[in-house]
Amino acid sequence: MNAVVRLALLQARRDRGILAAWILGIAGLGYAAATAVTTQFGADGERAALVAVAAASPAFLFLRGLPDGISTGAVTFFQGYSFTAVLAGLMGTFLVVRHTRADEDLGRFELLGSTPVSRTASLYATLLLGSGANLVLALAVAAGFAGAGLPATGSFLAGAAVGLVGLFFVGLAAVVAQIMPSARSTNGTAAALVGAAYLIRGAGDALGTANMSLLQVTPALPSLFSPIGWGQRVRPFTDADPLPLLMLGGAAVVLGGAAVALRSGRDLGASYITADESGAERAGGGPASVGGLAWRLQRGTLAGWCFSAAVLGGVAGGLGPVVRDALAKNPSLMELMSRLVPGDATMVDLFTTAMLGIAGVLAAAAGIQAVLRLRAEEAEGRAEMLLAVPASRFRWLGAALAVAAITTTAVAAAAGASAAAVLAVMEAGGSSPGVVFAAALAHVPAALVFPAVTVLVFALAPRWSSPFGWAALAVALVLGQFGELLGLPVWLQDLSPFRHSSAMPVEAFDPGGALLMAAVALAAGAAAGRLIRKRDLAA
Amino acid sequence: MHAEPVVHTQGLAKNFGRTAALAGLDLTVMPGEVHGFLGPNGAGKSTTLRILLGLVRPTSGTAQVFGIDPWAEPVRAHRDIAYVPGDVTLWPNLTGGEVVDLLAGLRGGADESLRRQLIDEFDFDPRKKARTYSKGNRQKAALIAAFSRPAKLYLLDEPSSGLDPVMDAVFRRHVRRVAAEGATVLLSSHILAEVEQLCSRVTIIRAGTAVESGTLAELRHLTRTRFRVTADVQPEELAAVPGIHDLRAEGKAIEFDADAAHLGAILEALASAGVTGITATPPSLEELFLRHYSDQSSPQPDVQQNAAQQDAARQSHAR
Repeated sequence: MNAVVRLALLQARRDRGILAAWILGIAGLGYAAATAVTTQFGADGERAALVAVAAASPAFLFLRGLPDGISTGAVTFFQGYSFTAVLAGLMGTFLVVRHTRADEDLGRFELLGSTPVSRTASLYATLLLGSGANLVLALAVAAGFAGAGLPATGSFLAGAAVGLVGLFFVGLAAVVAQIMPSARSTNGTAAALVGAAYLIRGAGDALGTANMSLLQVTPALPSLFSPIGWGQRVRPFTDADPLPLLMLGGAAVVLGGAAVALRSGRDLGASYITADESGAERAGGGPASVGGLAWRLQRGTLAGWCFSAAVLGGVAGGLGPVVRDALAKNPSLMELMSRLVPGDATMVDLFTTAMLGIAGVLAAAAGIQAVLRLRAEEAEGRAEMLLAVPASRFRWLGAALAVAAITTTAVAAAAGASAAAVLAVMEAGGSSPGVVFAAALAHVPAALVFPAVTVLVFALAPRWSSPFGWAALAVALVLGQFGELLGLPVWLQDLSPFRHSSAMPVEAFDPGGALLMAAVALAAGAAAGRLIRKRDLAA
Repeated sequence: MHAEPVVHTQGLAKNFGRTAALAGLDLTVMPGEVHGFLGPNGAGKSTTLRILLGLVRPTSGTAQVFGIDPWAEPVRAHRDIAYVPGDVTLWPNLTGGEVVDLLAGLRGGADESLRRQLIDEFDFDPRKKARTYSKGNRQKAALIAAFSRPAKLYLLDEPSSGLDPVMDAVFRRHVRRVAAEGATVLLSSHILAEVEQLCSRVTIIRAGTAVESGTLAELRHLTRTRFRVTADVQPEELAAVPGIHDLRAEGKAIEFDADAAHLGAILEALASAGVTGITATPPSLEELFLRHYSDQSSPQPDVQQNAAQQDAARQSHAR
């Protein structure tokens, strides 16, 4: 037991900066949302209007969650819960992978394993650290809500919901880490499961049933299959129900136990899904050049991203018509909606537009991940060998950037193609498949800005490239989703590249914004190509 | 010889933050040399090689490879260089064969028969993914990539540290082969036997500067011969003879080290000392290396002479 605590302290020591950033960021987002609701929507009437508009927009319900009355606490929870829960899930996932499969990949486990500690001690330590981190997160979120003036009991329950979702994903990631063969595939799979939990909850919420006043929506069946959906059912500020909290905690314990059992049953470095151990003897047309290598390293990951994007596109295309048909049964809601919807945009188009916006974010994330491969290559010493042959740094960086651009475009295209195909098959009406496909591609210029500025930071200060890239995406997402709720000035909201891409098919295509973003991306990429020559290669 | 040096550095210095990795290194490697590059851990060997590859920019001083500044024109400088880093990491999802093709391919393509021969001699499985390789196998992949295409300069950073003795022999054979073909080799190593077998010249680096440089014969000349004598003489008398160091006496058995430069005078002193038994151990490079590797400020445990005499002796070696 003593060894477990010492190992947990060691892991906490390694993580102190990154965990502090995650916890403060998530709690800060909650605090900001609560403050915005209590100050800018202080009157009951204002909140009722906000909620009624949201209840009439299934796309909004999909992205955000379910309205549950008009108290300040309920509105804050409705606006902020889903996003904070996703972030908590990602925090837990990355925490676990850092200390399990990643340490095993890098051989650090072997050194620890040679000391007199049990085979599972390190995993117990990671689970302990994950529990501690999520406990602190729960308290921080609760403090943020209470500090912004929300009722104390509700704040505490809301914080507990977020923290327990985080804890659930700590357990889940620990299981995935035993099954997948590498840190990269573990991170990808576990993060995709967080995304799936969000999407399933979204589907359930979009199909939810509004009550007569349109101020409260009951979720449909699918959200019962999502841990994020469970947390939402706590309803901390209205009709509080602690049962879902117990379910989340119980599931986390079961998952943690399963991870420990799986770990005891396998060799160090082994995994339940094994990677291919042999392959081609000759490089052939593959990795025989810097560009070929960049492509070869990315292609598997690219396939994974495209698969996720196609699933998202399929949900976008398939859910819109279903939601429309469900709503047709509620005449008062239909009536409200027809007043709210601008111009002659159909319900299906609105839904598609919102979902393709997420596809744009996914495309940006794929691009960031692709250029951050440069950082891994340098930090792990492979760049040293590659750049000792007559290959220029410019070519090395350019190849990675080109592959990132292909990745970003392909992810957007996969989402668009799949959405267009499903819409066509369902004969849903709305925009033509060509327009839907174009709508997905319209997000590409803005999405390309993210890999381009990330690679620029890499050229200047490689150590900061990964935190900067992901933080930039998170900030853009918060600006886009919460900018108006928080009443942020327009110039600040305009810093998000996504503000400059056209929300097709509801909006018309705006070439100006797309060209501006493409120019920013090109300029950042070109500057990186020049600057990479001017610094030492990090050893 | 009036040939241009292949590698030439002058006053090379590199600071990483507040630590000085190199502090005025002068290093010259002439064409066709197999040049041993030795020094304790952290002396700056790898930093020197990284500067010669243009991966890192010197804080001050100049570095030239084939007369080219590698920082300004890395691609031109690399055209005739083959490099094996000290700590080889490979792309985990590429096979060993693909890694060899990538690295040799970027230099212009491997010599097919040489590639086959190397894979065979190193007993290397090129179909395995790199993530399954041990340290020695990763090193083999880098060595095969380096040796499978002729280069004019081989920069090898402790290349045999993970190889078993049989593979080490294969490695030495290929160093001799490329040297016989006229290539230049700069070999950083800790293994004395390897250096003695392969290298024609040696530079010893310590705390970022070169402390010795020369042929092996020249360096041997710097070392001391160890004498064990049985003699009827007061040890103090012998200790006073110039060139005698680290004298220890136990009854009539006396042990001491003798500078090569003073051997004549020392033998004369012994001749009049009533010697009844004598053994002399030939000068060894190991002693020289150990002397340079160990910290100057902390005297070695077996040193019984006073420190001042030690320092005086060292100053006579410093050139």
